[in-house]
Amino acid sequence: MSTRLELRDISHRYRTGERAVSHLTLTAGPGELVALLGPSGCGKTTVLKIIAGLLRPTAGAVLADGNDMTGVPPERRRVAMVFQKPLLFPHLSVAANVGFGLRMRGMGRRETGRRVEQALRQVRMEGFADRRPEELSGGQQQRVALARALVTEPRLLLLDEPFSALDANLREEMRELTKHLHATGDFTTLLVTHDQGEAVSLAERIALLLDGRLQMYDTPEAFYNRPVNRRVAEFFGATNFLEGRISDGAAETPLGRLKLAAPVPPGSATLTIRPEAVRLEAGENSFPARILSAAYLGTQVLYTLEAGSVRLRAAVPPHVKLGVGQRVSARLPAESLWAFSE
Amino acid sequence: MIGERTRIALLLAPALAVILVLFGGGLYAALLQSLGYFPAIGMTEPGLDAYRAVLTSPDFLNSLALTVYVAGASTAISTVLAVLLALALRRAPGRISTALFQLPVTVPHLVAAVGVALVVTQTGLGARIAAALGLIGEPADFPALLYDRYSAGIILTYVWKETPFIALIVLAALRGVASELEEVAQTLGANAWQRFWYVIFPAIYPAVVAASLVVFAFTFGAFEIPFLLGQDYPTMLPVTAYREYRSIDLSARPAAMAINVILALLTALFAAAYLRLSRELRRG
Repeated sequence: MSTRLELRDISHRYRTGERAVSHLTLTAGPGELVALLGPSGCGKTTVLKIIAGLLRPTAGAVLADGNDMTGVPPERRRVAMVFQKPLLFPHLSVAANVGFGLRMRGMGRRETGRRVEQALRQVRMEGFADRRPEELSGGQQQRVALARALVTEPRLLLLDEPFSALDANLREEMRELTKHLHATGDFTTLLVTHDQGEAVSLAERIALLLDGRLQMYDTPEAFYNRPVNRRVAEFFGATNFLEGRISDGAAETPLGRLKLAAPVPPGSATLTIRPEAVRLEAGENSFPARILSAAYLGTQVLYTLEAGSVRLRAAVPPHVKLGVGQRVSARLPAESLWAFSE
Repeated sequence: MIGERTRIALLLAPALAVILVLFGGGLYAALLQSLGYFPAIGMTEPGLDAYRAVLTSPDFLNSLALTVYVAGASTAISTVLAVLLALALRRAPGRISTALFQLPVTVPHLVAAVGVALVVTQTGLGARIAAALGLIGEPADFPALLYDRYSAGIILTYVWKETPFIALIVLAALRGVASELEEVAQTLGANAWQRFWYVIFPAIYPAVVAASLVVFAFTFGAFEIPFLLGQDYPTMLPVTAYREYRSIDLSARPAAMAINVILALLTALFAAAYLRLSRELRRG
């Protein structure tokens, strides 16, 4: 049975007094796959350990389906966790590793064996039951670790950068597997990652943590198109920023008056637009610009444009061929232009 | 150009020479004398008489039994205490507690023996405190722990000295991967006892066995503490060998040396077991 997870105003300080997490409030619905995203050292793993019960938060509460779990020891939470390293028990066979959680709960040998077999099949490791952990590759070990967590039928699965130690191909394969297991299983998943690509491709919602604070909690698409502040936009690769003053659905900027599609409160604001959304054409919200540099990236060409004191990046299909120094018209479509006040 | 191996051998040569001459030479002389080759008193016919005499003598067998008992009991008690101590200390961030328990490691065995003697004799500190607290009628009622048939004083000294030694090694193993594996076990539903028995113990087991082998080999062959705190008869093997050696009767010399050679062989056996184990440990 999947669970509705609620973090209520969680704060945590290390023994050294350093703040790891500040006032984190977050809800993951039953069966949802949420990514906890942030650079290393931003407090993501601390949050995961608090949810698992391995750490007690300095303040705040962890709730599962409305019940306070803050004081409940990890072994009674039905929360399974897969760590960055596989951490298989080195003295046990693959099958004994996977069956560990069931045996600890007093399940009989035959039933344990049946479920272990099924779990190994789920992660495509059925032929490896009798192997020792050291005989497996890193990716295989991590799949066994995944099976070991899933076989206990957790209501909540915590994944702490489980793919980061694997090479690119294997990582892709593991992501697919995780997505599939989440879709077919009945549990809520919380994935910690520093890789925004991973968060975007896997998660239904992303919680971005910077310096222990939640910056934004929304769908992957919103992070690209509607970032709440400059740091969030930058974390997702945005490079185009414009200062402006908002009034009557338009912004007064160094590039002139630009129309906005989304409603924004009047006052000073920062405007941003993704390089892919910039058009090299005349029309609404257009202005003259000069091409400063061009970088060919295979599927697209990334131009740096200069318009007065403003520099912008535009990513266009490679068949548009423009020379450095050439004068063009650039257009920032109103529906792609996003503003946030800071 | 000399190869790396030759260079290392040359660098080690002075130290090895001392060990070979003093230690190897002594062992060689002991072996010769134990085989009955002792020209100084006219014994030139080698044979196994001394070994036969030693191995069938009830004195030697009593001594051997006592040695196995003292070494075994000291090792067993130290090991259990050390594991408990290491478990209690592994999460302790304070350096004071760690430093405090390491203190006995630095105290020489001789000093430890004198210290224990001062505290546990029937006229000692322990007896007087117990009497003052009304636990016993007068100091002389304090149990005899020195020169006693159970060798309590010897075992006590060894336990005090060797517990921290084993605990240090176990602590290192515990602070390694064991704590991460324990967290995994915890998220898989294992309670405290299950975590110890199924995860922590298997992880520290090789370190525990290796450390206790070292302690067993040491307590088996060490001389000073049983000499100072042990009863008159039977005595532990090293003391027996020493007494035979100091005997006015020079013809007792081969017997003394036979005991020494047997001691050396047994210790070598423990050392070999330890080396083999530590090699497996390193292989993981």
